[in-house]
Amino acid sequence: MSKIWVFSDMASRYPELLAAAASLGGDVNALVIGTDSAKAFSYGATTVTQLPADESRMIEDYVPTIAKCVTASGTPAVVLISATKRGKAVAAKLGIALNAGVINDASSVKGGDGVTATHMVFGGLAVGTETVKSAVAVITMGSGAFEPLPEDAARKGDVVTADFVPPPVSIKCLERRAKQNSSSVDIGKARRIVSIGRGLKAQEDLAMVRDLASALDAEVGCSRPIAEGENWLERERYVGVTGVQVKADLYVALGISGQIQHMVGANGAKTIFAVNKDKNAPIFQYADFGLVGDIYKVVPAMTALLRK
Amino acid sequence: MNIVACFKLVPEEQDIIVNGDRTLNLEKATPKISLYDLNAVEAATELAAAMPDSKVSALSVGGKILENSKARKDILSRGPDALYAVIDPALESALPRETAAALAAAVGKIGSYDLIICGEGSGDLYAQQVGLLLGSLLSVPVINEVSKITAGDGKVTVERTLETEVEVLEVPLPAVVCVTADINTPKIPSMKAILAAGKKPITVWSVTDIGASTGGAPVVMQSILAPAQADRKKVIVEGDSDDKVAAFVESLRKVL
Ligand SMILES: Cc1cc2nc3c(=O)[nH]c(=O)nc-3n(C[C@H](O)[C@H](O)[C@H](O)COP(=O)(O)OP(=O)(O)OC[C@H]3O[C@@H](n4cnc5c(N)ncnc54)[C@H](O)[C@@H]3O)c2cc1C
Repeated sequence: MSKIWVFSDMASRYPELLAAAASLGGDVNALVIGTDSAKAFSYGATTVTQLPADESRMIEDYVPTIAKCVTASGTPAVVLISATKRGKAVAAKLGIALNAGVINDASSVKGGDGVTATHMVFGGLAVGTETVKSAVAVITMGSGAFEPLPEDAARKGDVVTADFVPPPVSIKCLERRAKQNSSSVDIGKARRIVSIGRGLKAQEDLAMVRDLASALDAEVGCSRPIAEGENWLERERYVGVTGVQVKADLYVALGISGQIQHMVGANGAKTIFAVNKDKNAPIFQYADFGLVGDIYKVVPAMTALLRK
Repeated sequence: MNIVACFKLVPEEQDIIVNGDRTLNLEKATPKISLYDLNAVEAATELAAAMPDSKVSALSVGGKILENSKARKDILSRGPDALYAVIDPALESALPRETAAALAAAVGKIGSYDLIICGEGSGDLYAQQVGLLLGSLLSVPVINEVSKITAGDGKVTVERTLETEVEVLEVPLPAVVCVTADINTPKIPSMKAILAAGKKPITVWSVTDIGASTGGAPVVMQSILAPAQADRKKVIVEGDSDDKVAAFVESLRKVL
């Protein structure tokens, strides 16, 4: 039976990581920075290994410490990490430190003779299924791949503390500041989404999109160019292979052409509505209900009808 | 400054055909420089332009795709002074670890370097590992998500853009950095640059030449399959007259 470890640079990601770990069977050891173990136990950890907190350290500096813990408790072992930007840096560094195979952005993970995980390739055109052959497997889990287990505050377990092992080469962090134009919205969990693409001519016109979203009690989403090229909406709102993969009941795509890289993020929605002025837009191949028309005319009319 | 910009040639996604059994047919797909590696090459070129006596080497390892002369010319027209390609059947569908090991050996053969720049992930596998593995294999500082690079004396200062934070980091050289897609806007090569590209040196090695070992891959790819298409109703109405919008909204109400 493999030893299962979980680690995240974001506390909010532990519940789903612990659920992924539980699906692999066996005892689950949560590596946490600091001394707060209760949350990890309540979501299914059987052991918590506390790593000494120190604000001046970078998350990546913990790699030798984690590697030492994993090595000391033996193989086979699986390390599940949240697929955040730092998580991926930690995963690759562990890959070398532990001579382990690494798979990023896993949408599923299975045990057995080697750990097998799936992730999107070719911009979402296909899913790659890979198996780790090395004694240790390091997998970063995409957000939303697993439902957290029900929280149970009564659960307890063993607490272990690990000594910090300094990294051989270290990078100096001169400054850390909050990112501008970022938000904590999680449209991956939204039930309804109104999503806007480059059919929008100006940032001010977002008002009509927000109106429709509010009439539908929906979150606002978008295509990558609206968030990354235009910077009209926060990065957290763009849907697609490199953005958020939604699981909504309703996805309303406005002025979005429907490129595969976008649609792999939207396809998880139960019902897709689309408005596009080009009747040949690929989005209509992926939609349940489509209207060929101008969003500047259709969107305000839809809002008015829904408010009636 | 001695800079190495790593890139991968990938099949043009638009030319990929999904077969009936959901496998992909890449035969008709022309090779192109992976989108986000253009940012790595541009970052290297911009940095070199700002530092006197700099040199940029473009480096790629892979299979037959690297024999493509148009793609070779394309990379050299984007600023690098020389191209190094490691072409070997053993690297034909190499996964990140084998790729990074070959790159590390190739860097050793090229000689000294100050900074190696990689993209955020390739357009085909998008594994987002190679640069990080490369730095770790070379035992030098390595960091991902770099959105700005400023050269200093024996170091670079970089900005790293994370989900909710920006870190400003001082990275001693030699080092490896993986840059984001929005660090720069890659320039379209000028006619002059395209003509000059033909005269730049190209060095081709095999895995044996660089002394890399390719055995013992820790990960194997089992399959690459297009997902089964979700069954959609595809009720499409043409025209945005009031009654058509009203009918559209009626369908919408039914799922609320
Ligand atoms: C590796 C890689 C990863 C990527 N990841 C993502 C990703 O995660 N998410 C993502 O979204 N993209 C991603 N992209 C980009 C993607 O390929 C497309 O470029 C992008 O999705 C297009 O956005 P769009 O549909 O808003 O714009 P466009 O393709 O420009 O489409 C705009 C649409 O609006 C319609 N339109 C214009 N005016 C109106 C009007 N007045 N009324 C109605 N319709 C109108 C047009 O007919 C057109 O269909 C990625 C690309 C690459 C290479």
